[in-house]
Amino acid sequence: MKYVILIHSNPQPWGHPTEQYVAEHQALPEGTRKQLNDEFEQAFTELMERGEFVGAEALGDPAASRLFRWREGERLATDGAYAEGKEHLAGFFLIDVDSPERAEEVARCFSGPGETVELRPVMSQSSDAE
Amino acid sequence: MTDTQLEEVWRREAPYVLAVLVRSYGHFDDCEDATQEALLAAATQWPTDGVPSSPRGWLIRVAQRRLVDQARSEVARRRRETSFAGSGASADEGTDADLDDSLYVLLLCCHPALTKASQVALALRAVSGLTTAQIAAGFLVPTSTMAQRISRAKATIAGAGGTFPPPAADLWARLASVRHAVALLHTEGHLSSSGPSLTDPGFSDEAIRLARLLVNAAPHDPENAGLLALLLLTQARAPARTTGDGDLVPLEQQDRSRWDADRIAEGVRLLETALPVGPVGEFQLQGAIAAVHAEAATWADTDWPQILELYRMLDSVAPSPAVTIGLAVAEARVHGPVVGLRRLDALGDSANHRVHATRGHLLAELGQRVEAIEALRSAARRTRSIPEQRYLNDLAGRLRVE
Repeated sequence: MKYVILIHSNPQPWGHPTEQYVAEHQALPEGTRKQLNDEFEQAFTELMERGEFVGAEALGDPAASRLFRWREGERLATDGAYAEGKEHLAGFFLIDVDSPERAEEVARCFSGPGETVELRPVMSQSSDAE
Repeated sequence: MTDTQLEEVWRREAPYVLAVLVRSYGHFDDCEDATQEALLAAATQWPTDGVPSSPRGWLIRVAQRRLVDQARSEVARRRRETSFAGSGASADEGTDADLDDSLYVLLLCCHPALTKASQVALALRAVSGLTTAQIAAGFLVPTSTMAQRISRAKATIAGAGGTFPPPAADLWARLASVRHAVALLHTEGHLSSSGPSLTDPGFSDEAIRLARLLVNAAPHDPENAGLLALLLLTQARAPARTTGDGDLVPLEQQDRSRWDADRIAEGVRLLETALPVGPVGEFQLQGAIAAVHAEAATWADTDWPQILELYRMLDSVAPSPAVTIGLAVAEARVHGPVVGLRRLDALGDSANHRVHATRGHLLAELGQRVEAIEALRSAARRTRSIPEQRYLNDLAGRLRVE
């Protein structure tokens, strides 16, 4: 079953990997930062080795976004970030795993201070997708 | 000869080549690599040089040469120094000589240390002769992801310890695992659709081919016939399961004239032979339930008391939430919706959307529309299938309007 892991973050300045530009993460003692990075590396390597990694992309600065909306019967394009909120979609991972439990285990390793990691199931065209 | 015909030849020969190598050298992973390399050599040489008079002999010779080359290399020799010489012994003992080659390789693939999904991926390569890219396309993942899964599966088998190849008794003990892997492959056949259509015959047909192989290679076990019957009877309904627009049609509303009569006849015939042999296992029972549906001229004509009895037997042989749902539906038909709902209560607030969908249907029958809509909406939220979600949302919407 496929899941997408969405990384919501607000790196300052915008950059990847996001945690290097997130104040809450940088405020941690170096030992803790290293431990978190190592845990992520290990989880990611395992994801690859198990054949569960499907794809991933890092996204550009939300300020570079173009937004397209419908206004008074016309398409209107504007510049700028979609959400005014504190966090933006910074990137995503697509995984294919055997169980919801495994998906949660993976997503947990992708989270860190100052960021929100969202795990969402991917829908299927199959009529029997359980 | 066209490329497709050539492909058919090496796909057909793949499990025989692999079986010959494993029987004489052991080392499933190395033998599988060598077989794949021989198939690759055939893909490049046969179109220009023509198909050799004995394709199997040609493939075996090429694969053996690859194995010997590999064995000569320093690293490989050190790795297999101890086992290479002795590994031919098991073939001489003839312990598994009575095993059909394709079944032999299928049993090797269904190693207990592997997940069902890995067993299926490996079998598609080793027994069905599909390329990693073809398997990846079927599972809708990148080729690199599938390559990683297959190499990990082979490494798991290589590292699992014990004697290899395993003694025949150990292999026979995996027969039940093989049936579950083949059944999963059949389900994945529906899952393998990347376009708007719901049913891709590719993997479903391959599952039926493998189930047929099981029946022919191990006819003594009636569960093999049960599995083949179940797959045939399920597949027979495929043409009626969706509309031209790709919408789901529930069994109750399917146009039964579109069911495949030949497949139904074969499925029923298989069960008539298998059931009296006993012991009656889960696949025979599931097949028998599918056969009762297949033989009813209309939904209203369905022999529900018989289905209920079969579900009760299934519940004692192989209980699962899916069986409880089937039991609830059958009880509702025989004893009324209230009895069915009580059965579903045992499953509680399940994550399985079918529990909520069935509850919704039964509540609607009782005229409890508000509760029915809530249950159907809750099922729609939980399903991961777009067609199912659309069907459930539509149904809930119609109840609201009525």
